[in-house]
Amino acid sequence: MALIAIIDDDHDILDASSLVLNSRGFKVITALNPDDGYKIVKENKPDLIILDVMMNEPDDGFYLAQKFRKEKILTPIIMYTSVSKSFGMDFGVNELVPVNEFVEKPISPDQLIEKVEALLSRKEGRS
Amino acid sequence: MVNLIPAWAQHFDAFWDAIQRRNLWFIKLRYGAVIMLLMFLFLTEFSLGLTFSKVQSTALIVITIMIQLYNLILHLKIKSIRCDSDKFNPLHFSLVQMLLDLIALGMIVYYTGGIETPLFMLFIFHMIIGSLILPGFIINSIAIAVIFYFIALTIGEYFGLIQHQAIIGFLKVPLYNNLKFVIVYDTIFSFVMIMSVVLANTIASQLYKMEQQLVESIDKLNRAEVEKQNYVIGLVHEIKSPLVAVHSYLDVILQKFLGPVDKKVEEKLIRARSRSDEAINMVNDVLKVSKLRLLDEISVGKIEIKELVEALINNFQDAISLKNIKLDFFDNRKLFSEITGDKFLLEIAFSNLLSNAIKYVSQNGKIQIILSNRNSGIELEFCDDGIGIPSNELPKIFNDFFRASNIKSKNYEGSGLGLSVVKHVIEKHGGKIEAISPSRLGNKNNPGSAFFIFLPV
Repeated sequence: MALIAIIDDDHDILDASSLVLNSRGFKVITALNPDDGYKIVKENKPDLIILDVMMNEPDDGFYLAQKFRKEKILTPIIMYTSVSKSFGMDFGVNELVPVNEFVEKPISPDQLIEKVEALLSRKEGRS
Repeated sequence: MVNLIPAWAQHFDAFWDAIQRRNLWFIKLRYGAVIMLLMFLFLTEFSLGLTFSKVQSTALIVITIMIQLYNLILHLKIKSIRCDSDKFNPLHFSLVQMLLDLIALGMIVYYTGGIETPLFMLFIFHMIIGSLILPGFIINSIAIAVIFYFIALTIGEYFGLIQHQAIIGFLKVPLYNNLKFVIVYDTIFSFVMIMSVVLANTIASQLYKMEQQLVESIDKLNRAEVEKQNYVIGLVHEIKSPLVAVHSYLDVILQKFLGPVDKKVEEKLIRARSRSDEAINMVNDVLKVSKLRLLDEISVGKIEIKELVEALINNFQDAISLKNIKLDFFDNRKLFSEITGDKFLLEIAFSNLLSNAIKYVSQNGKIQIILSNRNSGIELEFCDDGIGIPSNELPKIFNDFFRASNIKSKNYEGSGLGLSVVKHVIEKHGGKIEAISPSRLGNKNNPGSAFFIFLPV
């Protein structure tokens, strides 16, 4: 079964997301800050990363996503954001954020599962 | 280089702009002065019967040509003057202009009769203009030099050291050889000159200082606004995180990830989730407005409003059918007109208006959207037969966090930020928005409301 890494600075979000994904049989590993997040991704090579923007951290989620891509870690990334991406304000127009999907918090369990499954099947289809 | 820049001129760009504009203005004025000099030369001879001697008319024509020449040179050079405080800059340019003019004027005054010529008044006029631009110590020194020149000229003529150039036919009795007249005249001239220069210089620098303070306070206000918005964004993000966590847990419980839930408990939890939804929506609205306020630049492109509105109606189709609303969109434009603006922001604005209309009309209600030409732009009207807006509250509906009393009482959700966002977006596009209620679609029970947006093409 697929392994999913969740990186978020909110403990309860990690807990709730893990609960939902575990119930569908996914294996979940979590990290509470970008540094640990980087480590667990390096060590466990998950099939999918769920990454929070983590505005309060000095190296935020965008930075971490870029770091992964620079190191040729091409694992699909779902990014949790606080403000709707559709509002377009969080990112500069030319800023390239190398993630596969943006999700505005809060995300309902159904939607989360749907997005995760969609991304994983796309990945399988590609490889 | 002498530093001519006054202490108050800190906002350099605006300061140099103003000086350069004045320099150019003086050059244009000088062309007029040349014409006036020529008219003075010929008209006085013909109409007033005054006669210039050969020397006088030759000298005056030479002076006029000289003025015209240096004015042309100044006009050619003005564009290449750079606004560099350490090098030759527009202020030095002003000073050069002024000195050239004073020399020319000194010669004109001499050749038109010294103390007997009314043209000496132009000295005062020149010095007042100079005091508006140049720093006090420079203009005061020039004033003293002019006074010395005038006194030396008049006294010199009195004692016969300088040859007097009278205009024949102007005065019945010569005045240059009247010592009392010369002394009184010189004294008054000096006094008026010094007073004008000092007063004009003081008033001008006070005005400049006030302008400066104004610019500074506006800057300060703008910075404070940015800080405030950033603070609000930070704060609201902080509030949102725990709300999201609460919401996520409620979802996990309600969707039975932790096992079955007692019916009674579930009911209350559903209620709790809907309240936390409400809070999250409000927080999102505040975030959106704050970000919008911070966003000074809009990304501009050509937009066809008709397509935008049609796409919008499509997005809301579910909500429209759910309430069985009769929605009509008419394009009454006679001229095809594309708008220049930020498509994304306009979408937000229009979707706010349409969703309001949908929210506040009753089952089987009516909504009309009409696009037409107005003046040199377009008008977009959103008209409905919804609950309307109480007339005394109409002026306030575009304020942040304002919600009309009739919506508060009927338990509609919303933070009251929607219309303030709409207004902000429209104004950023140089447009206007107005609201009326009742609308032409309204009736006794449902007065309806209409929003008119004007956007320049």
